[in-house]
Amino acid sequence: MSESLLKLTGVSKHYPKVGQSGARWAAFWGLLTQGRREVGNPVVEALTFAISQRESLAIIGANGAGKSTLLKMISGVLQPSAGKIERSGTMAALLELGAGFDPEYSGLDNLKMNAIMLGLSHRQVNDKLDDILAFADIGEAIHEPIKHYSSGMVVRLGFAVAAAVNPDLLITDEVLAVGDESFQKKCIRWIEGYLDQGGTLLMVSHNMYQVQKLCQKALWLEGGRARAYGDVFEVTQAYLAWHERRDAEALAAGKAHRAHASYQVQSLILPDAESGELTLAMGADLRVAMTVKAVDARAPVVLVGIVRADGTPVYGVSSDYDEVRLNVDNHGLCRLEMVFDQLPLLPGGYALRVHAMDPEGLRVHDTAEVAFTVSGRSREMGLVRLSHRWLP
Amino acid sequence: MSAYWSLFLDLTRRELRGKMSQSGTGWVWLAISPLLMLAVYGFVFGVIFAARVPDGLEVSFIAWLAVALWPWLAFADSVQQAASSMSQHRALLSKVALPRELLALSGQAATFMVHAVSYLLVLLVLQWLGNPLTWSGIGHLLLLLVLLQGFAAGLGLLLATVQVFFRDLKQILPIVMMLWFFLTPILYAPEMLPVELRGSLQLNPMTWWMDEIRAAMFAGKALPSLTLLPILALSAGGLALGLALFKRMAPHFEDFL
Repeated sequence: MSESLLKLTGVSKHYPKVGQSGARWAAFWGLLTQGRREVGNPVVEALTFAISQRESLAIIGANGAGKSTLLKMISGVLQPSAGKIERSGTMAALLELGAGFDPEYSGLDNLKMNAIMLGLSHRQVNDKLDDILAFADIGEAIHEPIKHYSSGMVVRLGFAVAAAVNPDLLITDEVLAVGDESFQKKCIRWIEGYLDQGGTLLMVSHNMYQVQKLCQKALWLEGGRARAYGDVFEVTQAYLAWHERRDAEALAAGKAHRAHASYQVQSLILPDAESGELTLAMGADLRVAMTVKAVDARAPVVLVGIVRADGTPVYGVSSDYDEVRLNVDNHGLCRLEMVFDQLPLLPGGYALRVHAMDPEGLRVHDTAEVAFTVSGRSREMGLVRLSHRWLP
Repeated sequence: MSAYWSLFLDLTRRELRGKMSQSGTGWVWLAISPLLMLAVYGFVFGVIFAARVPDGLEVSFIAWLAVALWPWLAFADSVQQAASSMSQHRALLSKVALPRELLALSGQAATFMVHAVSYLLVLLVLQWLGNPLTWSGIGHLLLLLVLLQGFAAGLGLLLATVQVFFRDLKQILPIVMMLWFFLTPILYAPEMLPVELRGSLQLNPMTWWMDEIRAAMFAGKALPSLTLLPILALSAGGLALGLALFKRMAPHFEDFL
């Protein structure tokens, strides 16, 4: 049976309401007399999991999912509202690189202080000083006050101290995202070595590649609750898929027809479509018919574009660039037809988009989109067929 | 336990260095500012007000005042320092898990120490200026200062806890401290008050300290007597109470800071 370094049982966190002084009084009194308080805004709810040695865990999730709050509770900075956190072994938390640094003091002073705060003794600090300095690699700047440091230098120093502490459980909150490329690599190499030697990592990261590389398990938080927990690959893939779907929905929501816009795309059709979505043979002409409405009877600017199904733009052109005269009738309507001759798109799913813009071409007022498919047999790659010839 | 003390000492050292390096010349000002202050008090009370010491003492008013004033400064400043320590170290509290009482205690202790050193310097200067201080009471004085430090630490912890929840305390505390200063026989002797008020003065614990301190430095009181008992009880009890309250509430500070 492997000893768990950390065990959470039903851990919840509710931030108390602290806006008014009355609420603060009540909270003070409740805590003093009963050791508890009224519930507030839930941030983390009923989390139960354990971390065993050599079983690194990544916590992933969208912004505001409660990841940092969870790490704060685990590291002991924050008290859970309910539940139990059991810790065994040494632990060092880097909730923020440079946390605990005093800007007025030199890098060296801060380094020593920070190492002691993370649990090293004076003697250990002195023994490891050269290693820390070598790892941080910021040269003579170590004698300068931290306030003159770049954020990258602070990061180097902070990580170097944590590396020297070499705890059983290392907790990091999105700290590897800072620092330059070479220092990031150095950190990753150090973490890999640390993991090889039996260290355990608990990290919050948005970098799924890093997560998959360094961790065995992942916990996906959503709205403070565990949405998924288990093998790192399964959880991260589910998480990424969820993100793609969400992005697509957000995109769709943004393109909803705006009924009250001053310039509207009233209809957009591909006349060659017999029923449902148009399937166009590769290299065929693409016909487009649209009706645009202008509330103030001024001729709008129409932007027509083609995007791949995932939203990658392929081509776009506006009516004013092409110097097309738009005739607005007395209902404010303007009917337009156009054709893309011998459309050179490669087979795949595409969409045709029309934006109605104001006559000055400054702002998009309305957007319409219609999907179509290009079919054909081709092993060419990319989006479009570029005309080319091989020289003899 | 040793890591705990080592952290306390390091934090205190850092607070001390912070006080030194606030001005460019650091240590020099540590010596000059109490002497300048002594000169100002000497001018105001010795020359302008021409204040007098209680009958039967062969010392100048300024010496009589200074002997009680510096312990008060050490007490009042260090309590206020501790009270604001949590918001002062907010960034640290929210990111690093460490025994939070050390952040309050280190700032408090450092402030107290700076004033204690100034006090010693002031006493030496007073002696040099020809005021007969009874140095045989110095042991008793040091004991009183240690007990005062304990009381200040306890009160500081208590107020640090309260200030996390009620930020208004930051504005209120200096005024309360000023009132407390005038309610304590520092600028005046208890004998100068109307008889019916003298009794109520004894309700103020700082009166106990001031009486004892003056007894040590002017009457050569070298050995503790029964009057030390309430002081001892308040010092130990205050520290225990402050620490207990602080430790009970400290895990929740991050929610309210």
